[in-house]
Amino acid sequence: MRLEPFAVPVKLWAFCCVLIAVLLTRNGILTWTLTLFALAYTAMQRRWSIVLSYGSFYALLGCLLYAIRFHQLKMALFSEFHLILFWTLSPIAVVSWDLIKTPPGELSAFLSRMKTPTPVILGLLVIFRFFPTMKAEVAAVIQSMRNRGLTAPAFLLRRPLESLEFILVPLLLRCLQIADQLSVSAVARGAERPGTRGSYFGNTRLSGRDWAMISIWSAVTVIFLIVGDVRSWSN
Amino acid sequence: MNQQLKKWTIRDVITTVLLSMLLIAIQLIVNLICMANDFVSMVLSIGFTMFICAPIYFLMISRINKRFVTMIYMMILGIVFLLMGNWYLLPYFILTGLICEWILWKPGSTEDPKRLTIVWTLVSLLYNGVNLLPIWFFWDTYYAFAKSSGMQQSYIDAYVRYYTAPGWILFILIFTSAAGLLGSFMGRRLIRKHFKKAGVL
Repeated sequence: MRLEPFAVPVKLWAFCCVLIAVLLTRNGILTWTLTLFALAYTAMQRRWSIVLSYGSFYALLGCLLYAIRFHQLKMALFSEFHLILFWTLSPIAVVSWDLIKTPPGELSAFLSRMKTPTPVILGLLVIFRFFPTMKAEVAAVIQSMRNRGLTAPAFLLRRPLESLEFILVPLLLRCLQIADQLSVSAVARGAERPGTRGSYFGNTRLSGRDWAMISIWSAVTVIFLIVGDVRSWSN
Repeated sequence: MNQQLKKWTIRDVITTVLLSMLLIAIQLIVNLICMANDFVSMVLSIGFTMFICAPIYFLMISRINKRFVTMIYMMILGIVFLLMGNWYLLPYFILTGLICEWILWKPGSTEDPKRLTIVWTLVSLLYNGVNLLPIWFFWDTYYAFAKSSGMQQSYIDAYVRYYTAPGWILFILIFTSAAGLLGSFMGRRLIRKHFKKAGVL
C-alpha cells in the first residue's frame, strides 16, 4: 500500500466523522477505538511524528486512568475528569493535528474550488497556523524575559501585573506584525483577485485510495455510534 | 466616511482571527490551570481570564476599528465550545455578540474607551453562562455526562453549591464583572502607554 497523504476532502471528512462520533457518544471511554484508528490513519500518511508523540501521550493517559480507576491513584493537579476529557477528545486532536500539518496552499486551493469566500479561507488558514506560530513567539518572549532576569519566581510573585505586561505587550506587538506580514503575503499571492485559486500541489482529483478512506471513516463512525450509544440532548 | 463603516480588508480579517484565537487560547489555558482547585476554578477563574484578556480585546477593536469584530470573536468562541461538546454555547455567544454589536453600532463607538469598557464588562458578566447554563437548562444531560466522564461526586457537589446558592452566584457575577472592568482600565492604559506610542494604532 502507498504511504502518502490523503487529499484534503478526506481529511475534512475524517474531522467531521470524529467530531460527530465524539459529540454524540455516551461512552467516552470507548473513544479509544477512534483514537487508535486515527493514529493508524496518520501512519498511513507517514506522519510518524504525530503517531509517536501522540501515541506516547495517549499511552501515558491510559496508564494514569488505569492507576486512578483500579489503584486509587490521587494526583495533585489533575483529576480523573481531566484525564477522561483528554482521553475523549483524543481522536479529534489526532485528526486535527493531521489537518494542521496539511500545506496551506493545498487547503486554500480546495476551499477555493468549493467557492468558499476568501475571508473564510484566510480565517481558517490563520486558525490552522495559529498554534505552531504562537508556540515559537511565546518561546521567544520568554527567552527575552529570561535574558533580562524577569522570569525569576520571586519577581513574578512580587510584581504579577508588571510581569503580565512584560509578556503581553511584546507578544501582542509581534501578533500585529505577523498579521501585517500575512496580509501582505496574501495580497501578493492574489487573495483579492476574484475567481478560483489554483495550487502547486499536483492532481486535485480524489484517487481510489481517497474514496476508500472516506468509506472506511463513514463505516467506522456508524459502527462506533451503534456500539457506543448515542447521547440524548433533551433536558 | 467613518472608519467603522468602511469595508473589511484582508488585514482586518487576519488580525481579527489571530487575536480572537489568542484570546481563546489564553482563556482555555487559564481555566485549565485554575482547575487544580475547585474554588479557584468555579469562582475565580472567569474573573482572572477576563482581567488578562481585556487588553487583547481593546487592542483588537482599536486596531481594526470596524463593526462585527466582537461578533466574529464570539462566534469563534462558540464554535470552540461546540467542538468540546457544549453545543448550546454557540447560540448563546452569538446572542452575546449581537448585544455587544448593538452597543458598538453607532459610528465612532469603537474608538470610545467608555463604550469598549461597557462591552467588555458585559462580556465578562455574560461569560458566566458557560457555567450557569448547564445547571439552569441542561442539568440532567450535564449530570449524566459528568458521572460518565469520571467527575468525582465532590466536584459535582461543589459545582451545585457554587452555582445554585444565590449568595455565591451574586459574588461570582460581581467578581467577574469587576475583574472585566479592572482589565478594561488596564487595557486602556496599555493602549495609551505602549501601542499608540509604538504607532501600531
